[in-house]
Order: sequence, then C-alpha cells, then structure tokens
Amino acid sequence: MRTLPWELRKLVAQSRVRAAFVVCLLAPAAVALVLSVQSGLPKDTLFGRHVLTSGFALPLVLLSFCALWVFPLLAGLVAGEVFAGEDAHGTWPALLTRGRTRGEVFTGKLVAACLVPVALLATAALSSLAAGVALAGREPLVSLSGSTLGPGRAAVLVLLSWATAVPPLLGFCALAVLLSVVSRSTVVGVAGPALLGLVMQLLSLLGSLGTSSNALLTTPFLAWRGLVREDAYYGPLWQGALVSLGWAVACLVPARLVLLRRDVS
Amino acid sequence: MASLASVEAVTARGLRKQYGEQVALDGVDLTVRRGTVHGLLGPNGAGKTTLLRVLLGLVRPDAGSVEVAGTVGGFVETPGAYPYLTGRQNLAHLAALDDEPGDVEEVLQRVGLADRADTRVRGWSLGMRQRLGIAAGLIRRPDVLVLDEPANGLDPVGALALRSLVHELAHDGLTVLLCSHDLHEVDALADDVTVLVAGRVVWGGTTTELRGRPGASLLSTSDDALAQRLAGELDVQPHQSGSLLVRATTAELDGYVLELARRGVAVRELVREGLPLEQAFLELAT
Repeated sequence: MRTLPWELRKLVAQSRVRAAFVVCLLAPAAVALVLSVQSGLPKDTLFGRHVLTSGFALPLVLLSFCALWVFPLLAGLVAGEVFAGEDAHGTWPALLTRGRTRGEVFTGKLVAACLVPVALLATAALSSLAAGVALAGREPLVSLSGSTLGPGRAAVLVLLSWATAVPPLLGFCALAVLLSVVSRSTVVGVAGPALLGLVMQLLSLLGSLGTSSNALLTTPFLAWRGLVREDAYYGPLWQGALVSLGWAVACLVPARLVLLRRDVS
Repeated sequence: MASLASVEAVTARGLRKQYGEQVALDGVDLTVRRGTVHGLLGPNGAGKTTLLRVLLGLVRPDAGSVEVAGTVGGFVETPGAYPYLTGRQNLAHLAALDDEPGDVEEVLQRVGLADRADTRVRGWSLGMRQRLGIAAGLIRRPDVLVLDEPANGLDPVGALALRSLVHELAHDGLTVLLCSHDLHEVDALADDVTVLVAGRVVWGGTTTELRGRPGASLLSTSDDALAQRLAGELDVQPHQSGSLLVRATTAELDGYVLELARRGVAVRELVREGLPLEQAFLELAT
C-alpha cells in the first residue's frame, strides 16, 4: 500500500476535491439558514415538516437529497479522476516505471478513490447534524412509525442512516473507476456515474422494472428508511449491501484487468 | 524481464508489435552495451517510441523478448507531471514508489531545477518539464536511462547542459538509450547507434562505423575530367553544380585526394554534404 499516501495527497491537492470538502462542510449550514428565514417547509420530503421542530430532521432531509443527486456526483468527482487523470496528465509512464506493480498501483488508487468520497460523506453527515441542531435544537424526533425518539437515540440513528449510504457510494466509486479506466477520459469518469445514477432514478420512478429495480445501485440509498422507526427493519439494508457489493465486483474486476493488460501510450 | 550478467545492459530479440494493421515493430533485435550512450535513430513512424515503451514495460510486445540488466527508468515523448503539485512533490511522489530511490534534492540540483522546485508544475515551460522528466527517470537510480527526444523544448543553453549531463551520467557508468531527431545531438553523445526504419533495424553499430559509411562530397579540381578518370572504383559523377559528386568513406576520400595531388590535379574545393552521420542516416532511412 505504498501507493496510497501519495494517491491521497494528489487527490487532496486538487482544487475540485477541496471545493467538494468545503461544500460538504458549509452547504448544510446554508440550507439551515435558508430554512430559518423562509416561511415554507420541504413537506414533500421525509422529515421535511419537522426541520424546525427537531434538529435531527434536517440531516435526514439532506440525506434524502444527497442520495438522489449528490453521492453519485461525489463518487465521480473523486474516483472518476483517479485513473483517467493519469491519462490526462500523461503520467502513466512515470508511474508505471517504478518499483510497484500495476496491481499495487491499482489497489492504492482504488483505496484512495473510496476513502475520499467516504470522508466527504462523513463531513456532510456531521455538518448536517450540526446545522440541524443549530437550526432547531436537540428536540426529540418523530420517527417514521410515529413514535418519539429521544435526542441521543435520534442522533445515533441519523449517523447510522448516513452510514447506510456508504455501500452504494462505494458501488458508485467502483462504477466511476471502471468508466475512468476504460474510457481514459476524466469527463466520462466524473460525469458518467452522475448520469447513470440519474438514469437509475428515472427507471425507479417509472416503475417498469418491478422488483428488478432492487438491483439498481440507487435503490440501496433508500435503505436508511427502515432504521428511523420504532419497528426497525433491516432487510433493505442487507439487500442494499449485497447489491452494492455486486456492482463493485462487476466493475472492479474488469477495471483491474484492463489496467493490468493495457498498453500505455 | 530478466537480469543479465554480461556486458549487455539491454538485449531485445525478435520484438514484434502490431497495432491493428500497422506493424510498429517487425522483428527488432537490439543490444545496448553497458555504460554506453546508445542512439536510436529513425524517421517518424519508424517504431522508435514503441521500442522504448516495450523496454520500459509500458507496452507488451506481440512476440520477442527483452532483457534488461537492472532497473530501467526514463520517459517517452513529452514527460507527464501532475500540474497541481510542485516539482519537488512530483519527484517525491515517484521516489516514494521506489525501493531505493535517489535523493530528491540532489536530483533536482543535477537537472538544474532546484530553484523552481517549489512552484507548481502548472506554469512550467516545456523545457522545465523535460528536465523534470529526466529527474523522474534519475530518481529511480536506474541502470538504464531511456530518454526520448530529451532536448525537446530546451533552449540552446539547456540543450548544452543536457548534453553535459548525459556525458556525466555515462561517465558515472549509467547506460543511456537516447532517441532523438537531432543528429548533431546523437553525433555528440552516442557511442553506438541503431537505425530503425518501418519497424525494422536497418543498421546497428558504433558511431565511428556509421561515420565510416560512404558519404557524399562535392569536389572541384583543376582538371575534373582527369579526376574522374583517376577515381578507379570510387563513385565519382559529374554534378549539376559543375563539381564532381564523390561517394566515399572518409578514408577513401583521403586516399583519393592524395592521389589527385600526386597526379598533379589541384583540389580547389571539397565540401562534404552535411555531417557524416547525417549522410549515413539519410541513406539508411530513405
């Protein structure tokens, strides 16, 4: 794993990754500020009607939004660049004529491509929780089953809910890695996961896939809903984890083979 | 790639590489002696860069084998760099991937980048990037250094400094495989030369041997008709300029001029067409 520290440094040195951290840190506060001054509430979103009565509602509202639009974009922004960036900068020859094998380089990059999006997610989760509490205080949260959750339990469930987004986020990272390795284009690597995420959302909305929609990589982002209720259910969580794993394996095996076998020109 | 215990730093046998219908390498054999500067010459599309990529392990040949004694470093075409990192960080990154890397500061000094090493590569000139590419090769402390058009983008002073650096490296025992379009550069630096044309080696040997190949000279004498009769087996033909066109090795030309003088034919002008190496290359490559 000697490649990992520098892969992380390279990522953090890039302005768009730094900008993503700043957005994840500050955007929840900005949303809280807007909600505090506007008269209406986001009632169409789960927990939207409670954002001014419990500080634990806002992070769940933001989680719903991020699951739809932000997480695939974050995955692409980081993981989509990690491999194709070497093509863009012409650095593969320098990188692959070192003492490390291509397999080692792939592993180091992959781990970096997964760690940074997870760190971004964690940043967004904590700043959302902080923004929610700043907006509405540590009041109890009304769960999806109608029960009241005390502040401590609500905080734990909020963080666990955000944590359930990690497996599908990693699935999208794997998708970004595949697109990045195969296309050798940062545009495809960065925008591809977001576009494919959008297509998956549309397919889910249309309902034409029936139960097959469970195999879509966007479906596991909804699994947290089973947690924030008195009678919690975990089936979608395990199913989502398996689906995410399936996508990750299906993307990473060919991506690794392509990198190991490709001619670097 | 396996190690060699002999005097050869690089041995390639029967290398073949095809991209679709295009044959880039067609049974290339190459031997590079340890501690020498080996020039690789050829017109565009001759397969030079593909050969270097194979040697660096970046491209897998369809057939043939390559053996390199020790480690190989260097760059092909324009060396890449991370624009958002400084020059020092670029080198430190690459050094971190090697088991026994060289000292970053020392290498930066050696390629003349120490003063600018803490600025981001984004604003660097092509010449500075070339030097960073050389530094990236050297930081590996390679036994064989591959340089593809290293003087690209360098000003005359930079090119001169590069030549002196390559001389220094070769003097230190490093084997340098130098690919260049600049025949003056190869002439000045290389001990051995391999000429590639259309994916095949058309000539290989020392630069002295290459210079020894017949070259063209324009000769003007006091009696061109007699001079032509005295040519014997030498190729001496009337030229459109009014002079005689002589195709001969340097040694043959020396003998011919002495013979002319002995027979009372005065040599008024003798002009070699370009560098001997240039002549030989053009003959081989066209």
